[in-house]
Amino acid sequence: MSDWRRIDIDAFDPESGRLTKEDLQPPAVKPITLQELQPRIAQLRSCATSGDFVRGVKLATIDPPYGSDNDTKLQYFLAVLELLTQVRQADIAGVVQQLDQSQQEVLIKYLYKGMSLAEGQKQGGVLLSWFEKVTQKSGVNPISRFLSDRRTI
Amino acid sequence: MSSISAKFKLVKAPIYSHCFNNERNLLAITCENNCYVYKLNNGQAILAATLADHDKTVTAVDISVHGRIVTCSQDRNAIVWEPLSDGSYKPTLVLLRINRAATCVKWAANGYKFAVGSSARIISVCYYEQDNDWWVSKHIKKPIKSTINTLSWHENGVLLACGGTDGYIRIFSGFVKGLDSKEQVAGCPWGDKFPFGALVGEWYHGAWIHDVKWRSQAEKLAYVAHDSSLNVLDYRGQPKRVDNIDGLPFKALIWIDDHTILCGGYSCHPVLFTEDNSGWKFARNLDKTTSTEKPTSFTGVSGNDQEEEEEHSFGMSALKKFKELDLKGKISAQQERSTHENAITCLFPFSETSRGVSQVSSSGLDGKIVIFNL
Repeated sequence: MSDWRRIDIDAFDPESGRLTKEDLQPPAVKPITLQELQPRIAQLRSCATSGDFVRGVKLATIDPPYGSDNDTKLQYFLAVLELLTQVRQADIAGVVQQLDQSQQEVLIKYLYKGMSLAEGQKQGGVLLSWFEKVTQKSGVNPISRFLSDRRTI
Repeated sequence: MSSISAKFKLVKAPIYSHCFNNERNLLAITCENNCYVYKLNNGQAILAATLADHDKTVTAVDISVHGRIVTCSQDRNAIVWEPLSDGSYKPTLVLLRINRAATCVKWAANGYKFAVGSSARIISVCYYEQDNDWWVSKHIKKPIKSTINTLSWHENGVLLACGGTDGYIRIFSGFVKGLDSKEQVAGCPWGDKFPFGALVGEWYHGAWIHDVKWRSQAEKLAYVAHDSSLNVLDYRGQPKRVDNIDGLPFKALIWIDDHTILCGGYSCHPVLFTEDNSGWKFARNLDKTTSTEKPTSFTGVSGNDQEEEEEHSFGMSALKKFKELDLKGKISAQQERSTHENAITCLFPFSETSRGVSQVSSSGLDGKIVIFNL
């Protein structure tokens, strides 16, 4: 029995109650629909076009839609990505400087999400330079926070 | 540095848990499938006994006020080791009735019962029944959703705090009829009634909880989590949070006095936090390495000097390290190591004065036991 770690022990005990994904959902996250989020997305877009990046990034990272479904999150993310890619390379550090700790943590979440999606991978270089600036400012703090946070964006 | 009082390199495997007896002359450590007991004599640790009845990794060890040792293991059992007059130990198997590994074990302050946490989403509270000559185990199940990583008994012997990978910090009642009396919890601010297994309090943190400790006199509870935070809560409200400036998680914590906490973890050196009027904040690092020459690139993330950070950008350090290795055949700015060369897994109060803990022992994944002066 060398493979004992792979035995499905719950199968022997129907009453044990398997751990489900729902068991580990963070409690008390307010669901947000796409409609409720639409004005925020429009604001992000207008920040991107008008060049008001600091306000835009702050807006994007201050209260992310943790409680939304995946489609809504994607819509919101695309707006954030558009904003992030509009910022010129030289200005990134300046924007990051103006974010507080929790905003940086949310920003890191968006960067990781970007790198995991095809839409973001096209802009991989931009995301990495954002990533570099955030880690220069705060070290690995926001990364370990991202890895351990169950609230996804 | 003067912060080290003693260090013992005992084994070539990780020490997940260690514990001293009341007189601080016996040290028990976990190592693979065994538990080793050392006698401390003139600054030397001499192996006195090997407790070898477990057949999987031993995850935790604790010594009661009476000198009984309890170990728990991934083989799903706990064993109570009764010290005999000739220095050996008589094992008694405790059936925990769990289907996954036991992860942590703690004696209650009176030494008549202990609690074992497990991956089976169960806490077993065990006590000795004279009539049957048998350790009975009673289960606390609801509403635990995942592995219990850590347990802590309140000094009143009833309140049992736990934390685990479901991200909840919970307080249960471990009141055992016939063993505990209502006087123990008279005037307790956390609740009125404490039937066995009752959920007294519950707080959601999110990240895995690695360690939790009561400060009974102050009725406070502190815990560390995988998001590299230290949190302190009392019965009145929400946890107060402070972060490790290194950004790495803590695995263990210990109360020094009512307003001081020492933490240790993946930074490999202990970190001291203090509380003042404005709340909890970072105080100082113990045994932190300070290289004599300013490292050129390898501390890319821990420095806070902005200009220098710009020059040696984060992420390039590994590349530079290899380039240097290639060109010169060695790394020039070799960092000095802290006393622990790997993560700290467990902290224990080694000596106490009336003002608080004055010496702390720590065990690490590097197989060392280190005693720090505060």
